[in-house]
Amino acid sequence: MRQARFATFAAGAAVVALTVAGCSPSDTADDDGPVTLKLTIDQDMETLFPGDSGNADNIAILDVVYDGLVRYDPETTEPYNYVAESIESEDNVVWTIKIKPDLTFQNGEPVDAAAFARSWNYTAGHSELYSNYFFERFKGYEEMQDELDDDGNIAEENSVEELSGLTVVDDLTLEVELTAPFAGFSTMLGYTGFFPVAEECLADVEACAVTPIGNGPFQVTEWDQGVAVDAQRWEDYPLDETPEGVDAINWREYSGASSWADFEAGDIDVSYPAPADLAAAQEDPELSERLAQAPGAALTYIAFPLYEGGPWQDKEFRKAISLAIDRDTIIDQLSGGLATPADSWVVPDGVPGGEAGTCEWCTFDPDAAKAALEEAGGWPEGETLTIGLSDDETEIEYFKAIGDSIEANLDIPYELKPNPDFFTIRSEHGFDGIFRNNWFPDYPLNENYLSFYAVGEEGAGNFGWYSEEFEDKLAEGDQAPTLDEAVVKYQEAEAILADEFPTIPFRFNAGAEYYSERLDDVVLDPFSGAVRVRELTVTE
Amino acid sequence: MGRYVLRRVVQAVGMLFLVMFVLHLLTTLAIQLNGNPALAFFGDKIPSPAQVAAVEQRFGLDDPCYDQPGNPCLGPFAERLGQYAQGDLGTNLRGREVTDIVAAAAPNTLRLFVMVTITWLVLGMVLGSVAARWRGSPSDHGIRLTSVLIDALPVFVLLLVYKEIVTVPLSGWAKDTFGEDSWPPYWFKPSFDPEHPWATVAVPGILLGLAGSAAFIRLVRASQLESYGGDHVRTARSKGLGEGRVVVHHVVRNSSIPVVTAVGLTFAEALSGAVITEGIMNIYGMGGVLWDAVQSSDVGLVLGIVTILTAVTVVVMIVVDIAYAALDPRIRYE
Repeated sequence: MRQARFATFAAGAAVVALTVAGCSPSDTADDDGPVTLKLTIDQDMETLFPGDSGNADNIAILDVVYDGLVRYDPETTEPYNYVAESIESEDNVVWTIKIKPDLTFQNGEPVDAAAFARSWNYTAGHSELYSNYFFERFKGYEEMQDELDDDGNIAEENSVEELSGLTVVDDLTLEVELTAPFAGFSTMLGYTGFFPVAEECLADVEACAVTPIGNGPFQVTEWDQGVAVDAQRWEDYPLDETPEGVDAINWREYSGASSWADFEAGDIDVSYPAPADLAAAQEDPELSERLAQAPGAALTYIAFPLYEGGPWQDKEFRKAISLAIDRDTIIDQLSGGLATPADSWVVPDGVPGGEAGTCEWCTFDPDAAKAALEEAGGWPEGETLTIGLSDDETEIEYFKAIGDSIEANLDIPYELKPNPDFFTIRSEHGFDGIFRNNWFPDYPLNENYLSFYAVGEEGAGNFGWYSEEFEDKLAEGDQAPTLDEAVVKYQEAEAILADEFPTIPFRFNAGAEYYSERLDDVVLDPFSGAVRVRELTVTE
Repeated sequence: MGRYVLRRVVQAVGMLFLVMFVLHLLTTLAIQLNGNPALAFFGDKIPSPAQVAAVEQRFGLDDPCYDQPGNPCLGPFAERLGQYAQGDLGTNLRGREVTDIVAAAAPNTLRLFVMVTITWLVLGMVLGSVAARWRGSPSDHGIRLTSVLIDALPVFVLLLVYKEIVTVPLSGWAKDTFGEDSWPPYWFKPSFDPEHPWATVAVPGILLGLAGSAAFIRLVRASQLESYGGDHVRTARSKGLGEGRVVVHHVVRNSSIPVVTAVGLTFAEALSGAVITEGIMNIYGMGGVLWDAVQSSDVGLVLGIVTILTAVTVVVMIVVDIAYAALDPRIRYE
């Protein structure tokens, strides 16, 4: 018995020792072996099905697995035709999309009009998919939605499976009819939710969500959920936008952990340090030469509970809050180079129609802030201003600084209320003080930053703000004959927003990544801030 | 013996049922009070009522009881029990099989536990035995002081220091010294590597084991001291047995009972350490999965994992009980 016990320990230890100290790890790449690009994703990724992918990670992966009708210029974010031969419309209601001939999926199926129609009908008909709402502009979308009972539960499943506004004219021609004119329609079409899907994919959506069948330069070979995604170059890729010198890509999942130490140890090609390590990285002259930066497009802004009474009903009060926030100092101290102060509701230069300085009261001016507060009748004695947000640690730091700024300059005591159920509280109008919001745009057009303010009636939406004039201006933009004219109308809508001031722009995120010595031509997407994998080169 | 085991199993099933029911109530209440995970799914987008309804259905939260605070939602709970009875542990909110998640995560956590257990046994047995054997000597004091110091150093500090400061130069040095195609660089990788799970989990496991070893060292020392003062040891010595034989056969073996108990009991405790270790070292394991599941109100996943963990704990307990009998001839389960 006793011998047996010690023998067991000894054996256990020996097994581990043998496994750890056995022969050499044989998978290390030789100099002439395949080149694997090693990237990271930072959230728990749930799916790789195009119609259901809506976060930065799966969008970044699908960007090299699928080809869309259009892609976006890395300099200007303007769309250009990629899988599409042409996208045309006389009246911005009926759109004719012609597809380039002889394109196939990685399994050999043709990428034709039917492949797009198949994908769009599926996503439009399944309201539980993330990208479903993109099809709201399509004729026939309403008819596809399920009937609800009074409690907001599904009473009757809908059996309509095709958008009436979507017609396959011939093999390579697709016709789309919208419910109303929309000049920006072709700009939307590069988004993940508009990728085509193969028949084999729809036959088994669950499998396809794990190993998608794409039409892009890389093919997902295995996704070990929670751990890593592996993709290999698709040898028969017919088009030209594909990274040079890359045979395979491996994305390691880091949910919450930092990949910086792995980057320093040479195990990862692209990373960015946590604020604690940033100073050391910035002081390293050799490393500083391998830094790629780009303006980001995501806007963090502050909203007021305009659905209930209180000082926020007064525009002067909202101005006072905005003028009391020292954006430059806060962002300088906390962002680690990953954000810029915002003074507009649309990211400047990043998207058509984005212009800096549209927000007149987004500067730091304590005296003007005090004057505005006085004009608004001051802050009610003995009350505390609550600041609602989710429980993200970075955001808590930011909003603590914002609260301090308000308290220091306006003498308004504040209380942070971080809550993991932020989204539910917000949709139920549960906040009774200012609260944080974030908007990550879907496609590069200023309309996308503004359309969610169009709630259709008084009291609806997350902020309780409604302006008929604003919504009419957006509609005018949608109906404009050309995109350029539409952009101008959308800018006018933004001006109405700037004048009525229901929300306060706070910061735009900025993209910044350090990359390894073997990478070249690294550019960040001005829109998502992610590395444009198709443009880079690996030199080995 | 057989009847004893059977009784323990019946107790365990009752316990499991109770744990599941309490957890079900808690997660249900969380959804009722905080609103539903379906809205978080859309994030900053503003979904239409039809979209919210469809996502609720997809998440399996479309039962009206989830909208009524205080309703225990017995219907869904009975449904879930029925599923479990058929051996189906269901899916998480996004439709991924709980068994798949566990199959992917559990091996890594078990690897971690193996390393932790070995570390404990080696450190605890060696240091504890030395301290007990030469009680009051400088080495005894040194070992006791060390155990206090280990207690004072939280595991996350140890791991962060290791990852952020030690691994990068160390793995670089190992590459230069032993070559890229050798094991040492893998031992000191800053993060877990799924291709080489044992090699990259070894050091974090040892560190986690080290952090939890203090109590273990003291436990071994105390129980051996008790044995040294015992009648059976005096008898053994007076029979003229050699000191080495006395120590190994009469002291170490007799004082192993509390030690085995501790190893069994600390499985659950090690899981909390595993949450931290897995988080810092980026190991896909049960601790992290459970942590995320609780945070996102994922009823099915929380219940599924806890069911599995409870079952495992019960089995470990029974094994420990049986090990008692093997260690101490006086203990018999009749």
